[in-house]
Amino acid sequence: MNNNTPLIHSTDVDALQARFGMRVASLLGEQAQQAPSDISERLRVAREQAVERGRMARRQTRLATASAPIVLGRGGAASLAERPGWWVKLASAMPLAMLVCGLLVIDHLHEQAQIKATADVDAALLSDDLPPTAYSDPGFAEYLKATAQQ
Amino acid sequence: MATDKELSDFLKSVEKRAFKRTAFAVRDDDAALDIVQDAMIRLAEKYIDRPAAELPLLFQRILSNATMDWFRRQKVRNALVHNFSDFEGGDEDGDFDLLETLDTVESSIGTESAADSVSRDQILLLIDTEVAQLPARQREAFLLRYWEELDVAETASVMGCSEGSVKTHCSRAVHALAKALKAKGIAP
Repeated sequence: MNNNTPLIHSTDVDALQARFGMRVASLLGEQAQQAPSDISERLRVAREQAVERGRMARRQTRLATASAPIVLGRGGAASLAERPGWWVKLASAMPLAMLVCGLLVIDHLHEQAQIKATADVDAALLSDDLPPTAYSDPGFAEYLKATAQQ
Repeated sequence: MATDKELSDFLKSVEKRAFKRTAFAVRDDDAALDIVQDAMIRLAEKYIDRPAAELPLLFQRILSNATMDWFRRQKVRNALVHNFSDFEGGDEDGDFDLLETLDTVESSIGTESAADSVSRDQILLLIDTEVAQLPARQREAFLLRYWEELDVAETASVMGCSEGSVKTHCSRAVHALAKALKAKGIAP
């Protein structure tokens, strides 16, 4: 350090550096503004392309935002469908269950009717004066046929 | 959210400085243009929803990252590391009088009287050359601080280093530029 140089505070050095830096940068800026026309043109094209991309990105963001309620609506509908899902499934299963129950009831009634008819026949046979074995007799069968023809 | 006009105006205001800063770093105008274009598009596509006031710092970060990506792609990182090591060494200018140099150079380039020996265009070209010759990190810190007018914290954020490092880089860059300009006769 030069002995003739007065002592200076570090903030003064910082200020000097800043002044110098800003001045050099200012001149550098002038130099940069004198860029060749082809570079300026390419920068302009790049800028326009970037702005266009930004416009597209913004449009997509808006579309996403606008479609968000629809998605929510769908989600809501889905959630509504899911929440009573058990009821919907139960309701859709009810006709099938009723059909099965109906078939079982019809089967049961049909079976009861068959049992009743058989019981009536058996009761008639057993309560008749004619013994049941008579129907296996060929002579009695021929008698019945003849009676029916008359 | 920045409007198209705000984005366009912002890009227009920084595009030439961005190009120059990148060209200083990569030393290739075509590559610099590609990097700047890439940074512009990244900013527009990914940060269009940010307020216009945030665009400058975001753009500087994106540009720095894009430049680093370019270096990675070019596999010249070793060269960068070499440049980074430049400011790891000791101060070789122990007898360099900062105040005198800053005063003389600042006053020299601050007045048209410098045109007595060198034309203004030549001075501009000389400054351009000297800035280009700065070590990469010093140049980046210098340009971000004084050209892009970021504060120390913002510059540190963009450069990914501490504020102390930024101050050191800037100080060394200023010293180097002042000394070089003085040596070239830009003095009263």
